[in-house]
Formats: sequence, structure tokens, C-alpha cells
Amino acid sequence: MKRILCHPLMELAFRWLLGLTFVYSSLHKIADPAQFAKIVFGYALFPPAAINLIAVTVPFVELTAGAALMLGIWPRPAVLIVEALLLLFIAILSINLIRGVEFDCGCFAFGGAGHISAIPQFLARDVLYFLAGLQVLLFSGRRRWILTPLKDRNLSAAEAG
Amino acid sequence: MRLKTDLTRAGALLAAAVLAGLAFNAVSPAGIPLFGQWDTAQGVVNAGGQAGVVDVGREIRTVSQARALFDEGAAVFVDARPEDAYAEGHIPGAVSLPVNDFDEKIPTFWERYPLEGEIVTYCSGRTCEDGHRLARLLEEVGYERVRVFIDGYPGWAEAGHPTRTAGKTDAEAAVR
Repeated sequence: MKRILCHPLMELAFRWLLGLTFVYSSLHKIADPAQFAKIVFGYALFPPAAINLIAVTVPFVELTAGAALMLGIWPRPAVLIVEALLLLFIAILSINLIRGVEFDCGCFAFGGAGHISAIPQFLARDVLYFLAGLQVLLFSGRRRWILTPLKDRNLSAAEAG
Repeated sequence: MRLKTDLTRAGALLAAAVLAGLAFNAVSPAGIPLFGQWDTAQGVVNAGGQAGVVDVGREIRTVSQARALFDEGAAVFVDARPEDAYAEGHIPGAVSLPVNDFDEKIPTFWERYPLEGEIVTYCSGRTCEDGHRLARLLEEVGYERVRVFIDGYPGWAEAGHPTRTAGKTDAEAAVR
């Protein structure tokens, strides 16, 4: 089990899974920030002054971190951002699940009027993504398909020893 | 040491992403202002900007004003919500024209209601823009006097005004 989990191809698979997911899920938000802002308002967690700023910037954070993961640019810093975002999503979903606020997650697509997401399902999925992210973060071998400059690569290989 | 480098680089990625987001928003046709209108006391919540549909100029902003129009009986109230919401309860006499089924439903509506007649749209209150969306669509097909009752069905019902559910005609409901 440990050998499979620590295999470089496993790292690559998880990294691409997370990268693709984050890039994909950012696109519809980038295309329609006004709609995403309404979703953020629906979370009922953020101050009014922050809502548009969140709607404008967070999708680009998803896009950047996702693309970096797929291309292998600074994979550990990129996966740190992904893990932080996942913790944020888990917190948002949990708080609203507990207090019973009905809302549209807007994670992968915007639902129609009155659309309510299946929260526990999204929550479980985010936890799985988070665990995949931990593997990518803690992986100590030589990563496959990496664009990070050679200098950094040698550094991490030396550290991995 | 390695964690410090990682965090610095994560910060750099983050900063680049935020700047890219702000820059893209500034040039995108779908871009929104940096601050929106998210206070229901002020009116319908929305992100603002040119892509938005909220037009404060055509709003009916109090329930009592809507009730006065209702009592006059001249205006047609039009419900922009999905059919099942309409079925669960609506303003008496209101016509169901779900904004998401507009293309399908508008021919019949168009035949029944004259373009110069007064129309009042509504949806689920100040957190929904569908009343405004419907008003805009109705204007696009030629309706001249369209207004939006922004407190919508919840505001109407909470104020204790009469409501109807589907399956009961207005006449039946009136004699109950």
C-alpha cells in the first residue's frame, strides 16, 4: 500500500487530478463573475465589501494553482494553495450544513433558479481531494513531468537524499 | 527552510493570481465593479456593473405600494419564479411566466396581454434578480410599462396579504 501511495506515478496522477479539477472548476466562475458573486453572497459568510473581490480573484487563484500543478511549476507551493482553498471550502460547506442554510455550492456549475446542491456529497469529495493533496505535498521522491527550473529540482532531489 | 521557500513561492503565486484576476476583470466584458450592492435593506442584491439587470428606476420598493396597485386592479402581476414555486403560492391573479421558460411561454402571454398594459413582475424578494430579468425580457418584446415589485412573493405573504395556491381558481378561493 505504502509503495503504491509513494510511487511517482501516483504523485503525477493526484497532481493532475487536482490540477484539472481546479482549472476546470475555475472557468465558469471566470466567465460569469456576477453570478459567482451571488453564489458567494448565498454562502452568508462574507462581509458585503468582500463579495465582489472574492468573486473576481478566487477563481484566478484556482486557475493559477491548478495550472501550476499540471505543468509542474512549483508543485509544492501550488499544492499548498490548493490545500488552503480546500480547507476553506470544507469550512464553508460544514458551517452551512450545520446551521442548515440552503445554498448553491456553485463549485462546478451554476444551478438554475432554486437549485440547491447536495452538500454532504461535496464535502466528502473535498476531503478526498485534500488527502490527494497531502500525498502531493509530502511526496519526497523525484517528481515526473516537472517544469520547475533544474536548480530547484536538484535541490529537492538532494534533500530527498 | 524548505517550508519557508514553499510559503514564499505560494505567496508569489497567490499575488500573481490576484493581480491577473483584477486585470482580467478590468478588461472583460463580463467584469463587475470591485464592490457590489449586497444589502437587502438597500434593494435587490447584485454584483452591479453593465452586465447586471437591476434597474432601480423601475422598482416598486414597498409592499404597500404593490398592494395599492393590486387594489386598483389595472396592472397584471407576473410571477417570474419556476412553476412549482408559483404552485405553492402566489399573488392572487398573478400570471406565471417563469423567466427560465420565457421563450417557450411568451407567445401565449403576448396574445393575451396588450403591449401598452401595465405589468408588475416579481420573484422571491430582494435576493433574486429574476423579476428584473423578466422585466427586461418583456421590454425587449415590446411591453412598454413594466415595473418590478422587489419584495416579491415572500414580502407580500409576510405582510399578510391574500395569496393563492395552484389547483384552486381565484373564484373558488374567493368563496371559501
